[in-house]
Amino acid sequence: MHLIFGGAYQGKLDYAKARYGYTDQEVYDCALGKVVVRAQECDIAAANGIDFSKKVIDHLEEFVLACVRSGREAKELLAKDSEMWKDSVLICTDISSGIVPCDAEMRAWREMTGRTLMYLGTEACEVTRVFCGIPQQIK
Amino acid sequence: MDGLYAVWITSGGSVNVFISGGCKNGKSYFAQSLAKWQAAENRPLYYIATMHPVDGEDQARILRHREERQGWGFSTIEKSTEIGRMEADFTGSFLLDSVTALLSNEMFRRDGTIDHEAHRRIAEELTQLAQQSNRMVFVSDYIYSDAERYDELTELYRKGLAWIDRTLARVCDVVIEVAFGRIQIIKGPANFMESMDIQEIQSMYGR
Repeated sequence: MHLIFGGAYQGKLDYAKARYGYTDQEVYDCALGKVVVRAQECDIAAANGIDFSKKVIDHLEEFVLACVRSGREAKELLAKDSEMWKDSVLICTDISSGIVPCDAEMRAWREMTGRTLMYLGTEACEVTRVFCGIPQQIK
Repeated sequence: MDGLYAVWITSGGSVNVFISGGCKNGKSYFAQSLAKWQAAENRPLYYIATMHPVDGEDQARILRHREERQGWGFSTIEKSTEIGRMEADFTGSFLLDSVTALLSNEMFRRDGTIDHEAHRRIAEELTQLAQQSNRMVFVSDYIYSDAERYDELTELYRKGLAWIDRTLARVCDVVIEVAFGRIQIIKGPANFMESMDIQEIQSMYGR
């Protein structure tokens, strides 16, 4: 698994597509509003969550937000499905460096995204940060 | 001082540099040092002031920044819009602080309308300035890692600024991220900093 992170609009998906030659058809975008994390279901696929048949999973932070709203821990759900993404490219926006949000849900989102990135960073064979369109190899 | 000045004269740079990072972390000060270094051989040294003051708070900020630049030898060019029409001696060294202010001046017009193409125009104009002078230092702000749902207009602004940032990062020879005073070269020769003794330059101008 290749983890790509960085701030919003920095060119993370562009980098992934250029690097691997993927088209939009091979990208699943969690921001499209189709990710539904159920409070009780055990795995993401069964919960009509992320489509792991795609090679690239973009906007993973939106999946994390769905987890926050359902009272689930994103990294635990991901760990259960690890077989499904072990060869994927996972892209997540780094939302860790701004002002601490006033809203409790946004604060929980920020923290859970941090925990998720730490977990995925450990699991990844490659970690890349994209800064103003420029990739930096972290791992 | 004499010894150091000799170093500037022999090794003053000729590169376009893009600097970004969080707010109030030493970016501007580092950028000033870089522009100063590029003004070796008695080249003109310009500070392109982009802020359009709207209230007393802005006036005070501008005054504080001016005081901080005292003694560095900058000539100030006030240009808060239409940056492409800037007039100067292009053999000089330039510091533009900041891209962020430039975009808000051009995008959110004074008559209350929004210019949706401002980011593209500014990116082109700044690219031209870089090609003209080869000694430009651009300062921007890294505003992309908030955990917040912004309104549509704010998102448009962030997206527009990212467009300019990415353009400049592509055009410039050197890209630097300043994070809490730590200076990281994202693009450019790893030994870029070795040819200039930034700490010595900075120690000469206070701090």
